[in-house]
This record gives sequence, structure tokens and C-alpha cells, in this order.
Amino acid sequence: MRAFRYCVDEATASLWRGRGASLLAILTIAIALFVLSGFLVVSSNLERLIARWNDAAELSVYLADDISQEQRISVDQVLARNDAVVAAREYLSKADALRRFKRDFPDLATTADGLASNPFPASFEVRLRAAHSADDAPAKLAAQLRQTAGVVDVRYDRQWIERLSSVADLCRLMGYVLGGILVAAAVVTVTSVVRLALYGRKDEIKIMELVGAPIGYIRGPFVLEGTLQGGLGAGLALAALWSAVLVVRSREYQVVDGLADFSATAFLAPSLAALVVTGGMLVGCVGGFIAARTPR
Amino acid sequence: MIDAQNVSKLYNRSVYALRDLTLKIEKGDFVFLTGPSGAGKSTFLRLLLREETPNKGALRVAGRDLSRLTTRQVQAYRRGVGFVFQDFKLIPRMTVLENIAFVPKVLGAGSVPMRRRTFQVLKWVGLQHRMNAFPLELSGGEQQRVAIARALINDPVLVLADEPTGNLDPDLSLEIMNLFREINARGTTVVVATHDRELIRQVGRHTITLAHGRIVENE
Repeated sequence: MRAFRYCVDEATASLWRGRGASLLAILTIAIALFVLSGFLVVSSNLERLIARWNDAAELSVYLADDISQEQRISVDQVLARNDAVVAAREYLSKADALRRFKRDFPDLATTADGLASNPFPASFEVRLRAAHSADDAPAKLAAQLRQTAGVVDVRYDRQWIERLSSVADLCRLMGYVLGGILVAAAVVTVTSVVRLALYGRKDEIKIMELVGAPIGYIRGPFVLEGTLQGGLGAGLALAALWSAVLVVRSREYQVVDGLADFSATAFLAPSLAALVVTGGMLVGCVGGFIAARTPR
Repeated sequence: MIDAQNVSKLYNRSVYALRDLTLKIEKGDFVFLTGPSGAGKSTFLRLLLREETPNKGALRVAGRDLSRLTTRQVQAYRRGVGFVFQDFKLIPRMTVLENIAFVPKVLGAGSVPMRRRTFQVLKWVGLQHRMNAFPLELSGGEQQRVAIARALINDPVLVLADEPTGNLDPDLSLEIMNLFREINARGTTVVVATHDRELIRQVGRHTITLAHGRIVENE
């Protein structure tokens, strides 16, 4: 306990004495962890978005204008047979499609009225079961429907989800690579800063070694100094990231009818934030430890 | 107390700092190590402080072979050895009191016995009135007395001093030597390395003269 108190006193005093250099180390760690955490925030929000889109995944089956009654019933039966994939289905006639267009895009309603004929096809709007939205059953159903007589096109937004999922993966990977490089740079900076502090106290350390002070008393303050720099850097990174998230949340606009709502941007989960702080402290600890080993 | 048997210390292939040094220093002795620069005085003190180990031979202190000590044993050994350097090695940002208390503090001593012992040694070297002064505010003689107080705070069985009067005028040198005599009178073994023959003559103690790493005189 006495040793720990000594280490804390010395580490905080050293941080204050070399506050310029310490600030540099803290900022380096903060930048590294801000980048890493930033990518984590972006990728986790993308994943949430993907999950929402998966839940809301729909299949649109467009029918030919000259489709017969039997063919329409046949398409409906295909959907009914696949009730393990299909949660609900709704038939939209050509007239219903035009009405929906006028409702969703009132500015263009007059343009639609001016057309000689209704250009919108009849369709089945199919809501998929969430359990199947991520596997290939909807894609198989889409393929089967394309082969069915009277069907001119099938739109399934899975490709977008897959692309977004790849973007999220890439984002996370970039975060790890870039964050890894910056974390390595942070370790080097902390090592240099702690080594500077060590150099400034070399006579003190020499005396400690010569009087037989335990290694914990000699190295402890420097390791703790690095750890404190790491913790402060991580705290700063999280504060900056929190501010950035608040700025993003304050944006008024939404994308695709509420599916990408910036005001719902989530911060890091508490466990992940705790991991960032622990990681920052570990980075500083490693830097301090490397520096503290040097004079022996 | 100190038993050196054929101790050699080689810094490069051809230059011996110490060569086949064999000597014995009894417990409670006061010994001067003298000789010209490069004779091996400081090297022998470094071996006794276990900063270095001999390349050949055995150096025992209180029955312990210094070459065979583990890191923890080195720490334990050094707690029984006090040292004084020519350049005092005081910590400029600490006051006199803090410089002396620094040793028990980093050895994990409790604050009450630490303060009591610090005041004791401070009084003994006659610097209690300067306890709040910083090293740079003190004269050379006062700084060396602080260094001696720091060496004594741990009640060492062996005190090593490397040119402790090298930066002091003759009067102050004698004053510092008198402190070492007093330390020795309490039963502590004292080894002082100096090239000041006049000082040795005035103090008049067991003197070992080295030249080129060998003992040339032991009287």
C-alpha cells in the first residue's frame, strides 16, 4: 500500500512536472483511440442499420399488365406455399400503385395525371419473416417467382444490405488497421515521454538503485505515469467521440423514410467504452514499462 | 568484513582496472584506498557496491560472495551499505530533509520512524537549522554533510566514500573526515577512496595504495 501510494504520488508529480510532454503523449493516445473508437461507432451503427433493414426487408413482385386472373392466382399460390419465408403479402393493382405514388410524391401528382395511361405495374408487396431475412431462402423464392408466368420483375433489396454489411466489415477492418498503427505510434510516444521523465530523474534513480530500493519503487512510478497518460488519453478520446456523436445526432435530416435516422446514432456500448479506457491504460502501461526497463 | 581474493576487473581486452587484488578489511576498520587516477580505487568501490562484478576472483562482504547474489539479494545487501560521492549526488528539487528522508521512503519505511531517524542524523551532522534549504543553497561542505547523513540514515554496516573531499577545501575536508571517524567509532566499517595524501597523513589510518590495479602498499 505504501509502495502504491509512493508510485501514485511520484507519477502524478512527474506528470505535472513534465506536463508539456505528457500532454503530447495524452493527445497521441487520444487521437489513436478516437480513430479506433470512431470506426467502431460507425461500424456498430451500420450493423444496427443493417439489422433494421433486414427486419424490414421486402420483396416486390411486379406483374405484367396483361396478366390473366389464373396467372395472378398462381403467383399468389407460390407466395402462400412459401409461408415459412413470407410473413405477409398484399396485392396492389395498377390503380392502387398510382394512388400510392400520388400520396407519397404529391408534387408529382399532377404530372402523373397528365399521362395518357397508368405506367405503374400491378404487384405483390411481400413482407419477409425476420428469421429468413439474412439467409438465402428469400433469394430462392425471388428466383422461383421470376420463373412464374405473368411476373415481369422481382425486386429484393438484399443486395443493398449485403453491400452495406461489407462496408461495415471494411469499416471495422480499417479501424483496426489504422487504430493499430496509431496505437503503436502512441506506445512509442509514451515510451519517449516517460524516458524523458526518467532521464530528468536519473540521479534519483541511481540513488534508489544504490540504496537497494525494490524494483517496484524504481519502475512503478514510470509505469503508472504511462498508465495515467493512457487513461487520460482514452478519456479524452471518448469525450471527443461523444461530442462528435452529439453533433451527428443533432442533424435534422433522415435518409430513406426513417431507415437511417441520424438522431438515433448510438455511442459505444458501456462495455466497449470501458474496454477503450482499459486499452488506453494498457497502451500507456506498456510504454511506461518499456521506458522503465531502459536504465537498469 | 571485506575479503577480496585475486579480484580482477577488465574493461576491455588489455586494460585491467584491478589485477589479482587480494586484501582483507576487518569489521570496524577505517581504511583509506589511495593511489593516482586510474589506479582502481573507484572500480573497487563499484565492486563493493555491487554495481559491477569481478571478471576473476571472489569478493566477499560479510561472508556473501557478491558475484553470486540475485537481484533481490543485491537490494538487501545494498540496504546495509552507505555511500558518499565526490559530487554529493543530492536531488536538487528536494530540500535537505527530503533528500535524507528519500532513502527510508523508497525503502518503504513508515513515516513516523522515518521522520525520527531523519532528524537524528540531521542533528548528528549539525544541519538541523538548514533542513528546509535546497542543495544549491548550501556550501560544498554542507552538501557533503547532507550526503553523509543520507548514507547513515539506514544504519549501514559499511560506508563507502569515493573522493568525498574532492570538491572541498582542506579545512572542510578535515571536518568531513572527522564525521567519518565518528561513524567508524560507532563500529561501522568505513572505506574512503582518496588521492589526498595530506589528508591521509592528518587522519592517520590503515591505508591501501593502489597503482595500475594492483596493491603497491598496505600499511
